[in-house]
Amino acid sequence: MLRFIAKRLLLALPTLWAVLTLVFLLVRVVPGDPTIIVLGDQASPAAREQLRQRLGLDKPLLVQYGEFMVQIAQGDLGRSLVTNRPISADVAAVLPYTIELTLAALFIGSLIGVPLGVVAAQRRDGFVDWLARIVSLAGLSFPAFVSGILLLIAFAVELRWFPVISTVNTSDPLERLRALALPAINLGLIMVAYVTRVTRSGMLKALSEDYVRTARAKGLPSRLVVWRHALRNVLIPVVTVIGLYLGVLIGNAVLTEIVFNRPGLGKLIVSALNQRDYALLQGLMVVTALAIVFANILTDLTYGLVDPRVKTA
Amino acid sequence: MSAAAAVAAPPVAIAAPSAWKRATRSGGLAIGLVLVVAMALIALLAPWISPYDPDAQDVIMKLEPPSAEHWFGTDAFGRDVLSRVIWGSRVSLFVGTVATLAGVLIGTIIGIISGYYGGIVDKLITAATDVLLSFPQLIMGLILVAVLGPTLFNLILAITITAVPAFIRVARGSTLAMKERDFIDACRALGFGDLRIMFLHVMPNIMDEVVVMGSLWLAAAIRTESTLAFIGLGVPPPTATWGGIIREGFDNLLDAPWLSVFPSLAILAVMIALNLVGDGLRDATDPRTPQ
Repeated sequence: MLRFIAKRLLLALPTLWAVLTLVFLLVRVVPGDPTIIVLGDQASPAAREQLRQRLGLDKPLLVQYGEFMVQIAQGDLGRSLVTNRPISADVAAVLPYTIELTLAALFIGSLIGVPLGVVAAQRRDGFVDWLARIVSLAGLSFPAFVSGILLLIAFAVELRWFPVISTVNTSDPLERLRALALPAINLGLIMVAYVTRVTRSGMLKALSEDYVRTARAKGLPSRLVVWRHALRNVLIPVVTVIGLYLGVLIGNAVLTEIVFNRPGLGKLIVSALNQRDYALLQGLMVVTALAIVFANILTDLTYGLVDPRVKTA
Repeated sequence: MSAAAAVAAPPVAIAAPSAWKRATRSGGLAIGLVLVVAMALIALLAPWISPYDPDAQDVIMKLEPPSAEHWFGTDAFGRDVLSRVIWGSRVSLFVGTVATLAGVLIGTIIGIISGYYGGIVDKLITAATDVLLSFPQLIMGLILVAVLGPTLFNLILAITITAVPAFIRVARGSTLAMKERDFIDACRALGFGDLRIMFLHVMPNIMDEVVVMGSLWLAAAIRTESTLAFIGLGVPPPTATWGGIIREGFDNLLDAPWLSVFPSLAILAVMIALNLVGDGLRDATDPRTPQ
């Protein structure tokens, strides 16, 4: 297992390098002078020159690139242009909230999506199947901010079951859970859609396989055949999809945080945009890239747990 | 009836699927198409069907709830929300359509070249595609518009860039499969040039999959446009965009929830319609779909 993990981590390095290079280039190869974008066109040449030096933009591109990579390898994301605080500290302060939200959404997605997909495949074209298709169509269609606002209007403004503004820094675990509920449901709905879809189509295929027929012929109860034999073989594509859509989930988590006014990467991105804090924006892109590469590795490692054949391969 | 038709009739009577099954299986595509055409008509006819000037302000009629004069109510500047939603459809559909078409065109051409020639070119393109696809589309679009600046052109450019790698992947995969087919060998034997084979023989045969992806990506493109507008990176005000109206409504969520509800419903209608069309087309063109 350790060798498998080590190999997987090594394989991730080129991807990581490429993504970081992309981030570096995106911020630099833009038309226009970044110092004008940050300071405005009324800024004096001296002030612009000073900012240029602070950002390291006066050095050759290749030197900037080298410094960028070395900094990241040391875990240094630079300093915010606006607050001059270390970006890694700002990110570390809000990251737990984003992770909490994403994990809650993953939990909701798997808990509802897998059973819904299995039952939908079992009773194809029945009521549950029809319901599953509506749910997944809705989940795939709703932009996260639209579903978030509709949930907010329905359950916080009209019904008043949940707070409109999430208070997350409370010591009361129940209050914290109440604040998490609506955002997690909003993000979870998207995950339910993806998971239901893959589980359903995987189960449809699995249920027509020979081994399922054999298990049935042996006289195994249908419940065991479906939930133990067939589902086990469907879990790999399901885990793949969950891993693949972690990226989508992170993007949507950002929107969900904005709508529900939760602290997290989303609010940090918006404030970086509003204040034209390019250093912060670059740092946030690096963090997002790291999160996605990490999610891909986790997905591969989960394969080994779900399907023992993968480890030896 | 001719004899051929009689012979072609199924020899064994197969139980016809119930009305329920037929409606849920094939109805989606039809419903989706009708909705898409209706939306396109609304966008095209906006100057004639919108009841008010979308930018006309009326300070006395601020944040009015829906009424007989203003079906969707008015916003914080007293502008008619129905007219703004109708005009907003133009921006969303225009940006989405142009960006998707550009993405399809560029992505398909690169994908065919990559799949057809193979070798080092293919390896490089595939590696670049994988890296670009590892970034969530939304974050990518957000960063691009943020650095380029929110204008109509930059929005289209950013969304096109996010769409290209997806179409490269689809076109490349289909081209790889198509390359092995006998008729392509025949083309080579006839001495056709690579360009002629790629764009006259491979391309028409992989368009099924590209079109299916296209309809789903159109939804994604419109979603990205409205999301960016909601974050504040859309076409600048006072131009009405769905995401922009929702953003204004979001600031008045407690006093005037209708402001964000109506454009939200418009986005949902387009999303559901395009997803229905995409799924319907996929089922219709994919031979593996169980009938």
